[in-house]
Amino acid sequence: MIVLRESPRPYVLLAFGLVLLVWGTTWGLLFAPREAYMGDVQRIMYVHVPTAWNAMLVLTFAFACALVSLLRGGPQWDARLEASIEVGVVLCALLCAQGAIWARPTWGVWWDWDPRLTTMAVLLFAFGGIVALRQFVDDPVKRGVWTAVAVIVAYADVPIVYFSVRWWNSLHQVQSTPETVSSAFHWPLRINAFGVLFFWTGLVDLRARLAALRREAEAPPLPASARVEPIAEGGTR
Amino acid sequence: MTGVIEGGWEFVFAAYGVTAVTLLGYALSVHRRYRVERDRCRREEAGREGGPR
Repeated sequence: MIVLRESPRPYVLLAFGLVLLVWGTTWGLLFAPREAYMGDVQRIMYVHVPTAWNAMLVLTFAFACALVSLLRGGPQWDARLEASIEVGVVLCALLCAQGAIWARPTWGVWWDWDPRLTTMAVLLFAFGGIVALRQFVDDPVKRGVWTAVAVIVAYADVPIVYFSVRWWNSLHQVQSTPETVSSAFHWPLRINAFGVLFFWTGLVDLRARLAALRREAEAPPLPASARVEPIAEGGTR
Repeated sequence: MTGVIEGGWEFVFAAYGVTAVTLLGYALSVHRRYRVERDRCRREEAGREGGPR
């Protein structure tokens, strides 16, 4: 049974996210002021910080799906779980790439084994490993349970990533929030944050539909004794 | 040395370029995979409905 029916919703979310991203990016690149020390390089913030916030958010959604999937079961939650893990891995990989591009002109290196970067790399490989794990398990029930357990374990790294800049001496600046960022930079940051938010919700929605279709295709056909012919009104077959 | 980073637009464009390619490329990949799977399901459904009972 296909639970997630065809709908324009994921495409509407993707389109809305794209419009916001174009708007926020135009503002950030053309109209926002230069930062006092980093100059124009700081404009990377308008895309890097929203990606970071949303990567944590999509992995939190995956964690919630894993809990519900374990407690209630059902292919719908497993499909959402599969979708949110894959989108989370894409956002984490993108975050690392953007961070490396920002690190080169500001720190002088593409990569450093700094606590924030290292815990982020662990997160990327942990969730990447879960995506790989799903490919090796044929039984959909076992696959769902193992994935949910692995996500709950791997999610323990998310708060460590978030607080790493406060717990340890880090090259990376503290978390970017309205309190730590000048007000002149707020709007492009917010618009892009909502742009990435709508974009990933559209992606998770569409990817979950794909997962549900694949799950349906691998479900074994019902035995002949279990098939029921449709009954017409009045009770005749 | 002023302590202020001058230039650096190539890094800005690289960051935005990588973001655009990743997000749009992944969205297209999911859309394409979804279309393929949906069409396969429709074909199978049509085959079951038109097949012998």
